Parts: sequence; structure tokens; C-alpha cells
Amino acid sequence: MKFSQSGLYIESYVKCANCGVLIYESSAEDASRKKVHDGQTYCSQECVDWKIERDARRSKATA
Amino acid sequence: MDFVTMNILESSMVSLCKEMGIVLMKTSYSTIFNEALDFTCGLADMNGDMIAVADFCPAQIGGMPLLVKSCLKEIPIDEIEEGDVILHNDPYRGGLHTPEHTFFKPIFVDGEIMGFAVAIGHIAEVGGMAPGGFCGEATEIFQEGIRIPPVKIKKRGEDNIEVWKLLLANVRTPRTNYGDLRALIAAVDLGEKQMTQIYKKYGKQKVKDTVNDLLLYSERRMRAELEAIPDGVYTFSDKVESDGIDADRVYTIAVEVHKRGGEFIVDYHGSSPQAQGPINATLGVATSAAYNAVLHMTDPTIPRNSGCFRPIRVMAPPGTIVNVDFPAPEVGGNTETHPRIVGTILGAMAKAVPDRVMAAEGATHCNFVFGGVDAETKEFFACYDLEAVGWGGRAFADGNDGVDSINGNCRITPVEVYETRFPWRIESLAFNVDAGGAGQYRGGVGYTKQMLCLNDEIICSQMTDRHLLAPWGLNGGTEGGLGATLVQKNGVVAMASRPSAIAWRLPRMSARATSPRRRP
Repeated sequence: MKFSQSGLYIESYVKCANCGVLIYESSAEDASRKKVHDGQTYCSQECVDWKIERDARRSKATA
Repeated sequence: MDFVTMNILESSMVSLCKEMGIVLMKTSYSTIFNEALDFTCGLADMNGDMIAVADFCPAQIGGMPLLVKSCLKEIPIDEIEEGDVILHNDPYRGGLHTPEHTFFKPIFVDGEIMGFAVAIGHIAEVGGMAPGGFCGEATEIFQEGIRIPPVKIKKRGEDNIEVWKLLLANVRTPRTNYGDLRALIAAVDLGEKQMTQIYKKYGKQKVKDTVNDLLLYSERRMRAELEAIPDGVYTFSDKVESDGIDADRVYTIAVEVHKRGGEFIVDYHGSSPQAQGPINATLGVATSAAYNAVLHMTDPTIPRNSGCFRPIRVMAPPGTIVNVDFPAPEVGGNTETHPRIVGTILGAMAKAVPDRVMAAEGATHCNFVFGGVDAETKEFFACYDLEAVGWGGRAFADGNDGVDSINGNCRITPVEVYETRFPWRIESLAFNVDAGGAGQYRGGVGYTKQMLCLNDEIICSQMTDRHLLAPWGLNGGTEGGLGATLVQKNGVVAMASRPSAIAWRLPRMSARATSPRRRP
């Protein structure tokens, strides 16, 4: 989540593409865990792995 | 781990949370608080973890940890001072829906912040397009009432007058809202005062260590419960009838539960994209619904705190009906979509623990929200009224009759209070005796309520569900009955709830008062 320079309003909401939690730009903890995969932002490597596993599981089920 | 002290401390904190709730109930102005009890009081540690809570509203109990943690992301702990009270209702920042106002007050002991007293309450009127902020026609959050980011409504014990003025200028019933907001503050004041005494009695370090043990104890007990459930991937889906805007479109809630040892992961990927109308759930709602479902399937004696939620993880894809993106409307997500999510998870787990789940319930709060200018007092009134439904039949008993939906645990406002406070006459209120799904153990039944408008005009809005798609049965039990809303004029039905309409706005209703009414 990105705040304006003044800190008074939100410029954009950034959510993990897998679990949906807000990722705060100002949070050092969030920044250190954040990952980008296939152009999408994830809160952690764990969520990237979960997304890859889900895609594999679902494509296998539909094959 | 000192079990004796831990039990005494846990009981003391839960009793304190109950006492906070009683203060709120006794001092509030609105029937939604003093009759329906649509609020929750709890305590949190300085990380925002819930350490104790009273059994009020499950939707708010599960939402509390995310709410407090989200606030602390925006107001750093070193900027919180003794006597501050923080207010927040923003659904896009950890909140549940616009009417749900969260207050929390820091607990300082010898100048050191130890945690927070927390009160969450559903404020009956929040501005917006229709009284109460519940409007079936809403397509943006700006039509659903005032949105409050985390702000200090009190600073170092003094009212932040500018915040109060801004809040009360944006609602239809400022006098009532003022009373209700004060009641919420009274609750956190009591929590802070009494919890400070507990810290002084036992010592800061002892309480801190014992609370950590308590969270760990709850986590271990929850993991042990989950380990007893067979591992596997359990799936189920259910439909929400309509979003109130597109009456012919249904929305899917899809869940894939991964039960792995002591872990319970709920993946909502596959659910419908977010709706144009107000049935979208926030992340807080989707998370709380998963917690709620797990609490229904596990040992009720596990202390309710953030520890017992640690084994539960939620994957709620953004931009869907289970994790709405700004600025889509969301007010019905907490009342309608939450119980539907819980039911969907229970439906999935019926394959694993059939004796611990129930068939589908009414899954609506029948949100009936109304307001207008009272012909007698000339004052604007507004009310959020919820009505009861039947719960699903279970493997060992019939479903409960005439109770609030699974995430509310609220009471139904008595007819006498209703007629005293608002210009309606309740002409009949009776159980729908054959509405429960048949089976060895039948589903619970709802009721029919017939009301006569006694004011010159009342603006009404209703948001409800199960008018088209019946509650499903389990293990051969049949479906339950459907609901309906009918508006009569001069004894003739002038309007009926449309098929597939979860949310719609009733027209202005008018009638001539037929008998004098008493007001408090």
C-alpha cells in the first residue's frame, strides 16, 4: 500500500496476488519478504510457491 | 508454563471483556447495541494479537487481530500515548464493513505500553445513500457511509474535537451516534483501567510471560484438534443469489481446504470476481469466516485468542467477492457473504467430519435498515434491524430455530422495544413451522414478521438472501425453505422481492398513523 508523499491519503493499494494481504511500502518487514513472480507481487516466497503448486495441481486435474 | 496462574489470568481477562460488553450495552443509545448486542470486546497485546475476548459477535472476534494489526501499521506504537483512543472503520485497511467501528485504547503500566483494550461495534447509522449505510443499489463505497482511517478520537485523554465534528456532521442521527460512540469509549476505558490493575497485581513480566504461554497453549490445543481430522484436500462451492445490481447473475464462493497435520489452509481461488453491488467481502471478513468455521468444528473450550488462529491460513485473491478492491461496495460482505463462506467451508468439511458440521443455514441477517423524520418528535431516526433464520440440521440434532445467522450471535429486538422506539406496529410474528428441510434431524425454521408503518414516511432498505436458492441439506436431508419480502399497500401486495435479488432498496413507504404511540 502506497501513501502519498504527505502521508494523508492512499495512492495505491498493493495486495499479495495469492493470499490478498496488504503489502505496505513503508514497512521494512513487508519489503524484505516481498517477491515478484510473473509480473505479480506476492507477500512472500511461500505465497509464490503456493501459487505454482496450485496451478500445477489444477492443470493436472483438468488434463 | 504455570497452568494455575494461566487459568486464573485467562478467566479474569475474559470476565473483563464481558464486563466491557455489559457497559457498552447499558450505556448505548441504539437498539443494535442495547438489544441486539452487535458488538465485541477484547484485549490485545502490543503486537496486536488478541489475548482474550468475550463471546459476543463471531464476525468481529475473528476480525479483531487483523483490525488492530492494520492500525499499528499506520500509527507506529511509539506515537501512541497514554489516554489516546484510536478509531477505525476502513474496510480496505483490515476492516470488516463500513458500519463496524473499532476503538482501541493503549494500556500503559509505569509509562510502558503493554497492550490494548478493544471494542468493535456496528454503528446503526453511518451516512451514505440509505439510512444505516445498507443500500442494495450501491456501486461504490462512497454510497455506504463515512470511511474512517485510523485516527485518534481522543488524544492523551482529551477529545479530539475536530474528529468528533467531522464524524457527527456526516450521519443522519448525530445525537444517537454520539451516545453510541461514547458507549464504545466507555468500554475501552473500563478495559484499560481493569487490565492495568491486573498488570499491577501480577507484575508486568509475569503477565507478559503468562499471556505468551496462553497463546501457545491455545495454538497447541487447536493443532491437536486439527490433527485428529483426516488429512486431505476438501472442496465445495455455493452461490450468492445476486448483488442487487444484476438480478440475474449469481456469484460463486469456492473453497479448497487443505488439511495437513495441524494446519488448516483455506484457498478461495476460483471464487467469482468482485461484484458491482454491495455483497463483496473484505480480507478481514474472509479471514474471520475461516476462523469462524474452524471454531464451529473444534473443541469450544479452547481459549479464544490469536494462538488458536495461528494454524489457520487464508488465501483470498484480490479483486474477488472474498477480497474486494477499492472502491467497490462491501457492506453486505460482512452480513451476507460471511455466513455463506462459513457454510461453504462446513460443506467442504462434511466429507471429513460429518458429525461436526451442519447443513446450510439461512445465511442472511435479513438486514432491514430504515430511517426517516419522526412525525411526533421531528427528529431523524434510523435503525439497523436484523432478523433470525433457521440453522442447518446436524448429525445429532435438529437445527436451531429462529436464531441470528452463524456469524452474528445477536439477539432479536423484542417487539415491545421495537414499537416503543420506532414508528412501526408489529402485527404478527410467527415461526414458519414447515420451513426447515426434512430429514432424520430437520433444519431449523425462521419466522414471518408483519409490520405496519405508522409514520408519514419511512425510507427502507433491505439486503437479504435465500429468496431463490434454497439452503442445501446433508446426508440425504432435503433443502430448507426460501425467504421473501412483500410490501402491501391498502392490503394488496404492491411489491415483492424479485427473484435472485439479494439486495434491494424498498420504496418510500407511507401510511397514516392509526393509534397514538409512546416514546421513551
